Amino acid sequence: MPSLRIIPEKQVYETIIDAIGKIYCQSTPETITLINNALAIEEDDVAKDMLNAMLKNEELAAKEKLPICQDTGIVVVFADIGTQVKIENGPLYTIVSKAVNDAWRKYYLRDSITFEPIRCFSNHIQNPENSQQSVILHLSELPGNKLELHISLKGGGAENCSLLKMFNPTTSLREIEDFIVDTIVSSGGKPCPPVLVGVGIGGNFERCAILAKRALMVPISPSEKKPEYKKMEERLLNQINQKGKGIQGFGGKTTALKVNILSEPCHIASLPVAINIDCHAHRCISITI
Amino acid sequence: MRIIKIELPLKSEEIKMFTIRDKLLISGVLYTARDQAHLRLTQLIKEGKPLPFNLADSALFYCGPAPTPPGKVCSAIGPTTSARMDKYTPLLLENGLKVMIGKGERSKEVTNAIRKHRAIYLICVGGISALLSQTVVSCETFCWKELGAEAIYRMEVKDFPCYVAII
Repeated sequence: MPSLRIIPEKQVYETIIDAIGKIYCQSTPETITLINNALAIEEDDVAKDMLNAMLKNEELAAKEKLPICQDTGIVVVFADIGTQVKIENGPLYTIVSKAVNDAWRKYYLRDSITFEPIRCFSNHIQNPENSQQSVILHLSELPGNKLELHISLKGGGAENCSLLKMFNPTTSLREIEDFIVDTIVSSGGKPCPPVLVGVGIGGNFERCAILAKRALMVPISPSEKKPEYKKMEERLLNQINQKGKGIQGFGGKTTALKVNILSEPCHIASLPVAINIDCHAHRCISITI
Repeated sequence: MRIIKIELPLKSEEIKMFTIRDKLLISGVLYTARDQAHLRLTQLIKEGKPLPFNLADSALFYCGPAPTPPGKVCSAIGPTTSARMDKYTPLLLENGLKVMIGKGERSKEVTNAIRKHRAIYLICVGGISALLSQTVVSCETFCWKELGAEAIYRMEVKDFPCYVAII
């Protein structure tokens, strides 16, 4: 039987603090490349002006260590844990939560969490000096002795435009694609386009939402994806951008920078589809310990 | 794209000179207000009580700033989704509000109310918050500090970039 690898608490804690320190002031390199590509093909003067401002902001934020967006989000972590890994002094949630709270103070990030979602139950009383961050932590298992952490600071505006629908299994591909395109287009400027689109298909009600989030955050190699899905992603991206909602919903050639789909088996009675949106301030990182 | 420098407060006569998609570089005082501040402002109006500032003399910026690190004037600032404020906006317009800054579309009702009151809705780009922070001359919590990021902040800005969306 393979021996267990112990990962020290301190290593997990410091990895998360450093990861947040990297992403709060810069979008992923891929996103910045895609914004540059959008600028290269843009003809509308206002859209160009906005894209230029986004690129200038990326540079300035990284240099000055300022958040690229004032909404420094809610922290989402996918932790894929090797079956031969034991994390010292767990549970992992406690370590992640402490790291996130300390990172929040260290980097002066915005407290955007209300511990009572129904605000009238909490009397609106928040103590800004005593703020606490909550973390959305998704745990799953992997073979091997590594811990993979996928960390994101997820803003509220784009999250609010996300949607889930339980389709009938005989729904046509066309209808599904129309639903995805309409969701992005009808969101207009609300999710701060250009956006990234994560789509989850299959699983069940909660699983397809998690797949949609994972599609935004977790890189997968193209070889792991069926060609049908790759083609569908291309079609969706073209259809979304042809509608012309554009940068910040104010017109232009690019509304979405990327569409990524993840799929899983589902019940013969169902065809769940979830769409999760992230803005161009795509703060995300993957780390293997 | 026309680029126009303007000073707040704006009067209706000035507003009618602008056209959709003009870029405005705004100087003057903005008051931030998000969902909870809108709820409170509306309650004050309904109870006939005075507001903490004069709506006609200022601009409302739908924004919750990030905390200011030591040695900086202010941290990242930027717009939140305006549509969430739609249900409060017509009443604020009736009470003198002229300038709103946020992101995204407004409801038909708000669009009509903006036109009726000769007010203006501006959008600024979301997710360029470090860049926008460079236009801030001063920033302080103005009232309702207990709301944290949702408190009302008084922000003096110079050449703050926006685009005309509804007029």
